[in-house]
Amino acid sequence: MTSALAGSNLLADLLNGPRPAEWAPLREAAEQRLAGRELPTTSDEDWKYTDLKLLAGGFSPAPEATVDVAGHLLPEMVGTRQVFVNGRHAPHASCASAVPAGVRYFPMSHASEACHTLGSVGNGTAKGLFEDLNTARFQDGAVILVPKNLKVALPLHLLFITKAESPVAVFPRVLVVLERGAELELVEEHHGEGAYLSCPVVEIRVAEGAILRHERVQRESPEAFHLTSLKAEVGRGGQYHSRTLSFGARLSRQEPRVRLAEGADATLDGLALLDGAQVADTHSFLHHAEPGATSHQLHKCIVDGKARAVFNGQILVAKGAQGTDAQQQSRNLLLSEAARVDTKPQLEIYADDVKCSHGATVGQLDPEELFYLQSRGMNADDARNLLTYGFAADVLTHIPVASLRRSLRQLVMARTQAGSLGELS
Amino acid sequence: MSTTLNVVTSQAYKYGFVTDIEADSVAPGLSEDVIRFISAKKGEPDWLLEFRLKAYRHWLTMAEPEWAKVEYPKPDFQKIVYYSAPKPKKPQYASLDEVDPELRRTFEKLGVPIHEQEALAGVAVDVVFDSVSVTTTYREKLAAVGIIFCSFSEAVKSHPDLVKKYLGSVVPSSDNFYAALNSAVFTDGSFVFIPKGVACPMDLSTYFRINNKESGQFERTLIIAEEGASVSYLEGCTAPQFDTNQLHAAVVELVALDDASIKYSTVQNWYAGDKDGKGGIFNFVTKRGLCKGKRSHISWTQVETGSAITWKYPSCVLLGDDSIGEFYSVALTNHKQQADTGTKMIHIGRNTKSTIVSKGISAGDSSNSYRGLVKVQPKAEGARNFSQCDSMLIGQSSSASTFPYIEVQNRSARVEHEATTSKIGEEQLLYFQQRGIPAEEAISMIINGFCKDVFRELPMEFAVEATKLLSLKLEGSVG
Repeated sequence: MTSALAGSNLLADLLNGPRPAEWAPLREAAEQRLAGRELPTTSDEDWKYTDLKLLAGGFSPAPEATVDVAGHLLPEMVGTRQVFVNGRHAPHASCASAVPAGVRYFPMSHASEACHTLGSVGNGTAKGLFEDLNTARFQDGAVILVPKNLKVALPLHLLFITKAESPVAVFPRVLVVLERGAELELVEEHHGEGAYLSCPVVEIRVAEGAILRHERVQRESPEAFHLTSLKAEVGRGGQYHSRTLSFGARLSRQEPRVRLAEGADATLDGLALLDGAQVADTHSFLHHAEPGATSHQLHKCIVDGKARAVFNGQILVAKGAQGTDAQQQSRNLLLSEAARVDTKPQLEIYADDVKCSHGATVGQLDPEELFYLQSRGMNADDARNLLTYGFAADVLTHIPVASLRRSLRQLVMARTQAGSLGELS
Repeated sequence: MSTTLNVVTSQAYKYGFVTDIEADSVAPGLSEDVIRFISAKKGEPDWLLEFRLKAYRHWLTMAEPEWAKVEYPKPDFQKIVYYSAPKPKKPQYASLDEVDPELRRTFEKLGVPIHEQEALAGVAVDVVFDSVSVTTTYREKLAAVGIIFCSFSEAVKSHPDLVKKYLGSVVPSSDNFYAALNSAVFTDGSFVFIPKGVACPMDLSTYFRINNKESGQFERTLIIAEEGASVSYLEGCTAPQFDTNQLHAAVVELVALDDASIKYSTVQNWYAGDKDGKGGIFNFVTKRGLCKGKRSHISWTQVETGSAITWKYPSCVLLGDDSIGEFYSVALTNHKQQADTGTKMIHIGRNTKSTIVSKGISAGDSSNSYRGLVKVQPKAEGARNFSQCDSMLIGQSSSASTFPYIEVQNRSARVEHEATTSKIGEEQLLYFQQRGIPAEEAISMIINGFCKDVFRELPMEFAVEATKLLSLKLEGSVG
């Protein structure tokens, strides 16, 4: 970040840039909330373990760019993809021909009808700084509206690619609305080259009885900063199942905030595979606002090199949310001397008839398990790699899109050096 | 610093305070002069006065902590009287028959022995139980093996070198807002020194628990166990304690050298305020043990049932290789009580181990939080921690929270944390009642089972009383 001068201010730099014309009232409100705000420091409880000093400034709005997407396409989703390059829709790289009729799936710049919903998910709760920054400056994004009772068979693919020659900032935006009884599978991927800041905002509304399965893959460039806000509202009996896989970025932060209505069900799984000087931070908030909702969260981190994993998982069971069932697990594997994990699962419970539990573990591979494999003739390195792969694979097993599952397994295998073991299923 | 100094100098004049060594108490308010007065009144050496003043000057620069999940009106520190000479207590009643029957009922339920009931209620103590002579007898027995057990003020006079060496060595005077305040104005407390190789022949303070009541609202305790020494120390009692001071800010420091072991047990049942949350003690305590030596062992056990607000994190700094820290806690809140309590385990030495077992019970409109930190520093090769934090909710308007912070910087560490939540519901009670066990007894049994892992760490007579205490505190909460 050569141009990140001391004293320069990220927010001022970015807000001084041009403001896109659309969504003016929304942007004005966000700018007002941002006025006078500064980047959080490690003395803010929410940023205690993640230092944003590296982000001081020097990012400018991203210019237009073109990329070749061939390497990023997945066979199941060739005809259901929307591609965004440097925050702008890339019509020539996109193809939505296989999307069933009735589903509205287009870039936000074409979507006046999303106007009343955009920016309204999670209203009544505080807006995050990076969420507001996105609202103030996003160029484009994807809108997905699935009508009542329509079950979309093919998964949809959202591809956000950033290409930075000098440090730039991009603000991907996604709005997903599932009407009553609708069903959808969505794959959201982030890739890039160079040094840049990406601040995606994802808004999700799952109506009564609807089901959204959401695979999220973060494979940003090793010099990138990735700060995502996700807000989801799940209606009565609705389901939201997400899996967030973090592989890239110098520093990444995921902030999913999910509100569950009566009888809703949520899964919020995560895997972070870190090496070098990477920092991956997940700050999740699961709000059991009404009775009878269930949630499961399994968050795993594998930390090598001098990397750092941070997890802060808050579960709030509101007063009157009887019959809540919330289970949360944070599992961390340290592979090197200098690796570091800071984890903080949190339960806040205001109702008595609930089943809530959380657990956290930090450690290295179990010597007994290593010994077991070695006693069966596997050498020490292979045994270690196999166990490390196994630790991660747990989260990948249930990815519904076969080609994505395969490619991620290969990625994990390569990162855990388990490739020499041959084909693992 | 110049602004601080300005504040300091102007404050002394602001309240027009004149030092009067002869007075029995000082006017409300806090200033350097008040601290000088306390120190002079107690005939303290200069270094201790300096310790106090340094703490006070630092305190002025600090802000009251806001991070705990408790809400209360902030105390006005200029309205507190920081020193008043202890007066001999006049017996209030001629015999136990005159004591409020409600209070007697409580004592009976707790199983407090008659003579202790008398002492606690303020009945004139007769020859049957001469507390002074009991004290003396035990003190002689302890002195014979070289153990020093006395009030903090006495220790300052008789063993100034020991006090100077260890005071503030575990909880520095600048540690936190309330510890700094305590360091500036503490009036008394307890001092224990167990010399090398001595195992203390009795649980300290069991036999003294009715005698050390004058330690006041800013209590200071210092316990030192030398190489190979061991001691079990008990603090507080199960009987309800009333106190006119609303703010209690104690500091407890434990130091364990090589192979030493200190077990510190607390039962706290201070006045919790009435059902609507009026009144009640603010219990803002800093307790920390330093496992300084190799293979040293510090264990905290607490049963917290009283106080309107509890802000307390008995901690262990595991500096010595192979040292062990333990924390066993039962925290019960009812009505409008709020508790934010837990522990910190700081692993610095190699192969250090810690165990945390925390049981929170919240009833009524109360709020009960576990807040803990397990930190494994880079050099703490082979560190091991296990934490179990369970909450039990009784009724629909109480709350239970868990905030465990886990920071690991050594890959050979193994850290495990588990937390669950359960409840006493009508179904469970029905199950008991079907078998002829009345609701009240059933609650007692469920609670007892829930807290078993902690109660078995308590010295025997405390364990028996603690069980009864919890059911007593929960009377009328269920069904």
